[in-house]
Amino acid sequence: MLDQFLLGLSVVLQPTVLIYAFFGVFLGQLIGVLPGVGAITAISLLLPVTFYLDATTSMILLAGIYYGSQYGGSIASILMNLPGTPSSVVTCLEGYPLAQSNRAGLALFVAAFSSFVGGMVGVAILVLAAIPMTIIALKFGAPEYAMLVILGLLAASMIGTGSQIRSFAMVVLGIALGLVGADATTGYYRFVALPELADGISLVSLAMGLFGVSEIIRNASKRRPANAPHLSISMRDVIPTREQARSLGMPILRGSSIGSFFGALPGTGAAIASFMAYAMERRFSRSPEKFGKGHLPGLAAPESANNAASQTGFIPTLTLGVPGDAVMALIVGALILNGIIPGPRLMVDQPDLFWGVIASFFVGNIILLLINIPLIKLWVLLLRIPYQKLYPIIVVMICVGVYSHRTSVTDVVLTLAFGILGYLMKNYRFEPAPVLLGFVLGPLLEDNFRRTMLLYGGDFSVFVTRPISAVLVAGSVFLIGFAIFSSVSNRNKSNRATT
Amino acid sequence: MIRKLLTALPLAVAFAMPVAAEDFPDRSLRIVHGFGAGGNADTVSRIIAEEMSKSLGQPVVVESRPGAGGTVASGYVSKEDPDGYTMQLMVGGHAVAAALYNSLPYESVDGFTFISTLGQFPFMVAARSGEYASMEALIEAAKASPGSIKIGHSGVGSTQHLTGELLALRTGAEFLHIPYKGGAAASTALMGGEVDVVIDTGTVIRPQADAGVYDILAITSGQRWPDAPDLPTVAETVAPDFDVVSWTGIGMPAGVPTEISDKVRGAVHAALATPAVSDKIASLGAKPSPSTGEEMTNLIAGQIAVWTDVIATAGIDKR
Amino acid sequence: MAEFDDQTDQSTVNRLVRGGVLLIAGLVMLFFAWGYPTGTINQMGPGFIPQTVGVLISVLAVAIIVIDLRNPEQEDVGQMHWRGLIFISAAIAIFAILVDVAGLVPSMFLAVAVSICADDDARPIPTLIYASIATLFGWLLFLVALGLPIPAFWR
Repeated sequence: MLDQFLLGLSVVLQPTVLIYAFFGVFLGQLIGVLPGVGAITAISLLLPVTFYLDATTSMILLAGIYYGSQYGGSIASILMNLPGTPSSVVTCLEGYPLAQSNRAGLALFVAAFSSFVGGMVGVAILVLAAIPMTIIALKFGAPEYAMLVILGLLAASMIGTGSQIRSFAMVVLGIALGLVGADATTGYYRFVALPELADGISLVSLAMGLFGVSEIIRNASKRRPANAPHLSISMRDVIPTREQARSLGMPILRGSSIGSFFGALPGTGAAIASFMAYAMERRFSRSPEKFGKGHLPGLAAPESANNAASQTGFIPTLTLGVPGDAVMALIVGALILNGIIPGPRLMVDQPDLFWGVIASFFVGNIILLLINIPLIKLWVLLLRIPYQKLYPIIVVMICVGVYSHRTSVTDVVLTLAFGILGYLMKNYRFEPAPVLLGFVLGPLLEDNFRRTMLLYGGDFSVFVTRPISAVLVAGSVFLIGFAIFSSVSNRNKSNRATT
Repeated sequence: MIRKLLTALPLAVAFAMPVAAEDFPDRSLRIVHGFGAGGNADTVSRIIAEEMSKSLGQPVVVESRPGAGGTVASGYVSKEDPDGYTMQLMVGGHAVAAALYNSLPYESVDGFTFISTLGQFPFMVAARSGEYASMEALIEAAKASPGSIKIGHSGVGSTQHLTGELLALRTGAEFLHIPYKGGAAASTALMGGEVDVVIDTGTVIRPQADAGVYDILAITSGQRWPDAPDLPTVAETVAPDFDVVSWTGIGMPAGVPTEISDKVRGAVHAALATPAVSDKIASLGAKPSPSTGEEMTNLIAGQIAVWTDVIATAGIDKR
Repeated sequence: MAEFDDQTDQSTVNRLVRGGVLLIAGLVMLFFAWGYPTGTINQMGPGFIPQTVGVLISVLAVAIIVIDLRNPEQEDVGQMHWRGLIFISAAIAIFAILVDVAGLVPSMFLAVAVSICADDDARPIPTLIYASIATLFGWLLFLVALGLPIPAFWR
């Protein structure tokens, strides 16, 4: 493996290739910061450029945009509560409170560093275990996905700061929103009030509305102290203390492992991974009450998870030629136009390309870390701009981003509707994050559950007779049991305290 | 200043009158399509737009209006002015939608001026390597135990799905059709053993076949395909006259003056003749296929008839 | 002095709102989903999951109402930010209405100008200047740098 990896490095370290790798991750990061304008827009803009490049270089460029935009998405989430992807929703939960309490620099540093470690772990898995991971991924059929999603949803309903029944209600509400549109199994139109809704509600609208717009409504008219005068931008305030650093080691490690595993499953690996990583930190933390208010381990774990997942997400693409998500499909499309059809033979027929691309992830993550740390100061400076000057621009950026996503006015109107909904929800102490996860995972659950029933003739026993599925069922049962146990023991504790 | 504007006004009105075909185009044109930015439809649009702008001497912009299998874009384009400045990149799904939807916001054939097809491509019937010796063996196995062989397809109402249903109708074999989200997901399910057969395009099937993972049992076009002359057709093995070919093409709103549509057709054909375009279309597994408007109209009308029949007989829910 | 009497009523109403709205959402959903075919267990129809989800939301809503009513402590409901709500909504709505007919530049300009009004300290002249600068910035970013296929002005 090492020889081949070195071969890959020799491809990447050619000056022109290196420049494109740099350009890709840099551009990806910048575009990832813009709300609503995500990796898909950036890649489709650059697609024509790749016609003039060789396959390896174009793949390195496009892949760089993809994982670079993950870094950028975290920045927008931390600074402005604007999650561009489902996986950065979790980043908002701890990152935004940190920024609001003048610790944006620290949050950005921890995010960048955890992303770096996560990315590197992901690359290591990619180099060492691409083939075994592929075999595991192929073992995931419809029953396994259905049970995995249930496990993810249960984990999600535990992340709210309020009561669990309310979080669970929000997950179910998210599932309900995810039902809008043509049914994937029969094509039947459900809740399609407007023809534009036939493809369902856009994720970008929902995320930008619930998180971004609702926050602007809340803060636009708020009188706040002119400027935070002591806004810290010295390097000392950015780097975590030794004590903080020590508390981050295990969360990053756990996050990276969860992310590496779930990323390799085609589908919504990164989203499930980051929610699971967050839920796990919160569940097993000794101080769960700190979560939701800017707790660093709660930021580090999902950040490392989603970046690890975005690297191992390339496993099915590279080993099987099967793109795991829409962005990956674009990258594969670009390869095809370059005359290379990715498939199981890619590793054998095109070792330069295969290992060059993997080595570029390694180099790209280092580049991202190096450009991110000096940029932190710049981003924090952005917060020195009074909010009154900043928010009108954010409003317009959200509008243009959402509109350009599908050239749809309906999406802009929906963003507004979800903004108002998100605002009211927060006023009445409902969490928006579980809604989003329910929305992303609900269709996946319905799809795979119904497919399981179709494939196995309505026989429920497949869920426990297939080994991987059985393990996932056991995990869900454990989570439910744990939730009941902890709420009962909490009640006993508080009863004892009052009597 | 105001007087100047007022005197200029009648002139401006005169210029806004319909212009002769030799002046066309005097401003930028656009190609609308109904799929996501960066997808195959988008890519083909961009490639063709670039070449067309060279021969027409005006920029050609690509606009993505995704939604409801491309019908949102078709509805939008059919209502635009038939002045030749708005084109639509259409795919085989246009004919499927005509058969599948209860009501569409446009007339699928009469609502458009069809210019030319760009590329045509067949589908391939694939199974895991060694599972079935031939297409005949597959159909025999399906007839031996009806409903036990699972065909994975790329979504309900996709051409791939309807092709599978058509195969069942024409051979009398009964399959279990399992929907996935896209050809890639269906292909993964075939690899993992969840389904037994996948019918999809060459870009999905061929790399796996080249690697020895799949056997291609047959190809769905009526004649053998020039790219892969060794592959038998469905027609010659199990279902005579079986002929499914999907396509991409260019259409415009109905009522475009003939001189203008001819000029655009000329530009499309010129673009198709350049290696830049024909190579890219070939790399997507399609055969470049310049056509007349009439040929394209007949192709679409014929496919609408076939799919309407399939949907009614197979009992697929209309939407 | 009727206000004092209202106090208890209002807090009950406030406590009912949360679960109540959710219950309405669940029932509305059930109302529409009831007509969808449910199919059988191995050939599930499109209505199966929506009906299940509708029932689940309604049940959870009732549970939340019960919990909220039993809970003697009045949870504070956040104050409303009417000014922000009205002007930010107006700004986005204006953008949505205008962008297809008037193009990107005018809709960006108006969206910025209107959203500035959400701030209590907004003054007319600085607002106009700021909106112009922001529009120029938006034009440079979205149309020049990113080249998004949106017309700058009406066609």
